[in-house]
Amino acid sequence: MIKSIKIGALAVSGALALAACSGGGDSASEVLVVGTDLPLQGASADASKSTNEVVALVLEQAGGKAGDFTVEIKEYDDSTAAKGAWDDAACAKNAQDHVANTAEVAVMGTYNSGCAKIIIPVLNQAGMLMVSHANTYPGLTVEWDKGEPGLYYPSGARNYARVIAHDGFQGTAAAQFLFNEQGVKTLAVMDDTQAYGIGIADAVQIEFERLGGTVIRESWDVKQTQGYTATFEKIKASGATAVYYGGIFDNNGVQLVKDKTTVLGDNTAFLAMAPDGFSGYPTLREMPEAEGLWMTFAGKSLDGIIKGGGAPAKFIEDYTAKYGAQPNSSYAVYGGVAMQVILKAIAASDGTRQGVLDAVFAGESLCLTAEESISGMGFCLSTETGDVDTVTMTLQQMLGGVETDVRTLDIS
Amino acid sequence: MTNTAPAHTAASSNRKWAIGFTTVVAFFFLLNKFVLPEASGQVQKFFNAWFSLTSMAEIMIWILMALGLNIIVGYAGLLDLGYVAFWALGGYVAGWLMSPFLSSFQINFFGNARAGLEQGIHFHVFLVLILGGVFTAIWGIIIGGPTLRLKSDYLALVTLGFGEIIPQFMLNGADIGGLNVTNGSQGIGGLDDVNLFGYVIGTFALPEKFLMVSLMAGAMIFFSIRLRDGRLGRAWLAIREDELAASMMGVPLWRTKFYSYAIGAVGGGIGGVGFAILVGGVYADRFNFVISIIILAMVVLGGMGNVWGVVVGATVLAWINSIGLIQVGELVNNSFGTDINFPSYQFLLFGLLLVLMMLFRREGFIPEARIRMVMNEEKTEDLDKVSDETKIASN
Repeated sequence: MIKSIKIGALAVSGALALAACSGGGDSASEVLVVGTDLPLQGASADASKSTNEVVALVLEQAGGKAGDFTVEIKEYDDSTAAKGAWDDAACAKNAQDHVANTAEVAVMGTYNSGCAKIIIPVLNQAGMLMVSHANTYPGLTVEWDKGEPGLYYPSGARNYARVIAHDGFQGTAAAQFLFNEQGVKTLAVMDDTQAYGIGIADAVQIEFERLGGTVIRESWDVKQTQGYTATFEKIKASGATAVYYGGIFDNNGVQLVKDKTTVLGDNTAFLAMAPDGFSGYPTLREMPEAEGLWMTFAGKSLDGIIKGGGAPAKFIEDYTAKYGAQPNSSYAVYGGVAMQVILKAIAASDGTRQGVLDAVFAGESLCLTAEESISGMGFCLSTETGDVDTVTMTLQQMLGGVETDVRTLDIS
Repeated sequence: MTNTAPAHTAASSNRKWAIGFTTVVAFFFLLNKFVLPEASGQVQKFFNAWFSLTSMAEIMIWILMALGLNIIVGYAGLLDLGYVAFWALGGYVAGWLMSPFLSSFQINFFGNARAGLEQGIHFHVFLVLILGGVFTAIWGIIIGGPTLRLKSDYLALVTLGFGEIIPQFMLNGADIGGLNVTNGSQGIGGLDDVNLFGYVIGTFALPEKFLMVSLMAGAMIFFSIRLRDGRLGRAWLAIREDELAASMMGVPLWRTKFYSYAIGAVGGGIGGVGFAILVGGVYADRFNFVISIIILAMVVLGGMGNVWGVVVGATVLAWINSIGLIQVGELVNNSFGTDINFPSYQFLLFGLLLVLMMLFRREGFIPEARIRMVMNEEKTEDLDKVSDETKIASN
């Protein structure tokens, strides 16, 4: 017994001494690090890989520098293979790791709003900037649910910005398009029971009812393996003339779209619309049942960026030349835009975390011009909320198996 | 003398393992609290990469969960495929009682409400841990009551059902008759920092958080061992080995199983509270079937019924899941210039490990003495049977 205690004590003291002897405090690094925080496992892995490549190319084309500072990228994975998606424990760990890495001054990400809810408060207390390319949940920056957004900013100051419009705008645009332009008066709004889906379905419902329309609210559960024909039968009986899929295609979208066509007819007979959660899926494009599906994208689609020509189209060309294919989704390009914002903030700073944060949230708004931005869209970030001041909403329709840009939508 | 010798050996073995566990916890606490902040960047980088304290704290939660399930599966021999439900229930207790979520109330009972977020219920963490344990025990009783008369596969299927129902309720609980019970898929965030009578364990107090969950795991280890060695524990083991024989010896079957289910649930509840504190919230997305299976695998691979075996099983699997595969992958890729995404092969490796274990070491890493004996008995019986068959064939 005594021997065991002695061995244990010896092991502890020996290891501690070894670690302590390894050197004193580290001097401040001259290279600044930007962390990317994305789900690298599971369904979003390809999109995240592409986003990391775009971010790397943006830095490469900037000569690896932001102003006088040399910048490096460190990739973080906020998913686990066990879940195949973002994981709350991984997000909590990454948040601590971002803060612990003293050379890291800002974070590009996250992809999932749920993960952002965990990371923002931690970075907020460390005074670190976070810029997302894909979080569309409104409550992260504006009043939405109880206590939001104050819940995410314990220090009382803001540290989070995003370069894409939140779901409130996308839902509003879809509701106005359906009510004003398509003459829909009774709309079936479905959600996939997940954060993004419920958020966007709520936004559509609120705006559609504000316009004077009637909403029939339904859900589709990804685990409902027997399909959704019963739900669509209910919608048919309700007198609705259009359906809105509030959610992401990953969540059993194939079954959903098939069952809708079986019960309600194709998209010319019974109009269907979806948010950008249905964008960028080859499987959806190949489905005959998807023909005519209306879609919105919060920002410029990849197709729109290429057709717009100029520097953004050149960037896509450079990416294709380097990686052998176009970026996986429009979100990947917006990852590059978020990186551009961070680089600009670093260039305008003194190289400290606080300096980088102040470049976005103190003084004048940080802006990217249309010429600078690789999306071709200029915008300024609000110093109060961290949201973009210019909202571009692209209306698309699935035509001949291609997500075709129709025009940009004005939101009144 | 011959009767007391095995008990003495077991107590001595427990003491050694307890010293080992305490040493590891003390090492990581002292290292992170006092040494690493002053150490060189390389040393910090090494420990953060391979033994990140956030991951070590998460491992302690997995140990808690696995020990809770071990009472049900390892001691009483009841196959539970829905243990994640108790994790969820514990987590939501923390969400309800330590955050501004239930905003129609404004109750602060030795809690630590953040400035500006005083609405809601803010209880002291000790009270929340107790209530988390009690709440899940009650749910263990509610679930166990009608189902524990079932046996083997049927019981497993029913627990699987509950393991799906409760997380689904949490996911869809944003509007229960107009009442927002769980905030649905948005989850409950903004949990209070722990305040231990004036000492606040803030967001960045990782060594203190690690110590806190380690103490919780340590307490669970202690109670698990004491329970196993007590009257109730012996009754559980008797049921596990032979239900009919146990019944004939006067062990009340239903009541004894019922206790195992309720007490086992407590581990899940307390672990759920601890995990919610670590993450700073509770999110319904976590609670899926895979989690139940991982916890079960920790128990089986570690050694069903053996507390220390389960601790080792939980540690190994949780470390692999959290940082192990990533770090090993980086090491291999950097050493050999490859570009293999190791974490994506997790289930392949996991499956392979399970198959190998079942083929060569069915009793787990550190098997319980009784289970080892039973396994060996089976082997001997099999050999005898083969030998008899060979004799018959040769005749």
